[in-house]
Amino acid sequence: MAARRNNPSGIVPTIQNIVSTVDLDCVLDLNHIALHSRNSEFFPKRFSAVIMRIKDPKTTALIFASGKMVCTGAKTEAQSKLAARKFARIIQKLGFPAKFRDFRIQNIVASCDVQFTIRLEKFACTSHGAFSTYEPELFPGLIYRMKQPKLVLLIFVSGNVVIAGAKKRDDFYTAFDNIYPVLAEFKK
Amino acid sequence: MGDAFCSDCKRQTEVVFDHSAGDTVCSECGLVLESHSIDETSEWRTFANESGDNDPVRVGGPTNPLLADGGLSTVIAKPNGGSGEFLSSSLGRWQNRGSNPDRGLILAFKTIATMSDRLGLVATIKDRANEIYKRVEDQKSSRGRNQDALLAACLYIACRQEDKPRTVKEICSVANGATKKEIGRAKEYIVKQLGLETGQSVEMGTIHAGDFMRRFCSNLGMNNQAVKAAQEAVQKSEEFDIRRSPISIAAAVIYIITQLSEEKKPSLKDISGATGVAEGTIRNSYKDLYPHVLKIIPSWFAKEEDLKNLCSP
Repeated sequence: MAARRNNPSGIVPTIQNIVSTVDLDCVLDLNHIALHSRNSEFFPKRFSAVIMRIKDPKTTALIFASGKMVCTGAKTEAQSKLAARKFARIIQKLGFPAKFRDFRIQNIVASCDVQFTIRLEKFACTSHGAFSTYEPELFPGLIYRMKQPKLVLLIFVSGNVVIAGAKKRDDFYTAFDNIYPVLAEFKK
Repeated sequence: MGDAFCSDCKRQTEVVFDHSAGDTVCSECGLVLESHSIDETSEWRTFANESGDNDPVRVGGPTNPLLADGGLSTVIAKPNGGSGEFLSSSLGRWQNRGSNPDRGLILAFKTIATMSDRLGLVATIKDRANEIYKRVEDQKSSRGRNQDALLAACLYIACRQEDKPRTVKEICSVANGATKKEIGRAKEYIVKQLGLETGQSVEMGTIHAGDFMRRFCSNLGMNNQAVKAAQEAVQKSEEFDIRRSPISIAAAVIYIITQLSEEKKPSLKDISGATGVAEGTIRNSYKDLYPHVLKIIPSWFAKEEDLKNLCSP
């Protein structure tokens, strides 16, 4: 994917976390997995999945008895896929016929800093107020729910912006391109 | 006093309404046009401290358009003696078994009324909260929600919409059992529901410290000068880059103003009680405000030396 740097400010959001899911396509015995692997924890009363961690890439997986797996903590899409494959390999080695079906990235979280302070109260009062929620008592950041692309941005007074809910890298690049000029209007 | 057509004078004449006799009388010829008119004002005056034992009022309360039938139904009351126990209590039971679809609504309205009473809110806010609750209830998706939190959030939104916001902590104090987090979640939920229903017409401005100034100051018994100074100070402080919740800024400004005035100074604990802000937070907000204190406090209230005397955080 060609990197797009068409934002006039030259600021590009950096990915902090990627959540992906994959179907291993076989029923799993969670007790067996928990007993025979070092890096996993399983407390059925608390949560009905095995929580397994690997060091490289530094990721965590939730493995369910149905064979579905959620992989979190990767910093790039390639790393997320690699980590999911590593987890699947571990399950294979433990004796289950694991496959790698439907790998899908569900959520990408990215953050960036626009380098200036922002007037959040003014922002919430304008025409963008329909999409924004700003409750200083409840949360110090303004929650902006963008419709196109459909994701959520958390905008803080310091100028830090967190973008969550993207399924592709392009989505949050577009979102940031959309929001940057608006934020520049409300520079303090 | 009005104009009506008098049949004797055969023209429009000025007509006098005599309240004591209930007659409408033509002022020119004295002909009684209408008699025995029904007086629609209330028969008895009601006072707050009167008990319900020998209440002579024969009519119920005002009609409520939010309820299904306007609240017109009759309810069999429980007697407060022990007379005829069997008959009257079983009648009461049969009555309540039933068919009124509004029972949940009436209970909710009662809870909202209790909460707004405790906060001392006017009837406008209470009615608005009732309306909001009814609109949310109409969409059946609110079943599994914490009722207390939902009602508290209705009241919170009603206060905001009437431009008399109350802090979530204040609402918390009268809502039984609901935590700040639950009320916050319920509030988001209600806003979303109302947005879905009416296509984004929910209007609520952001809160500012100035909205709460008057109330906090009067809770602490500050004099007028101090209150005015505090309000001005808060206005000015909005220009500076202070990253604190508006309530905390308000509390810190009150602290500064009271430290500057000559009268009895409320301690941090008193301010914390009146505003709901923790003492540590007031101290930290004071630290943030201290660099700007010269520009924020109005000059007619305190001179520079007094400001220098302010304890450094």
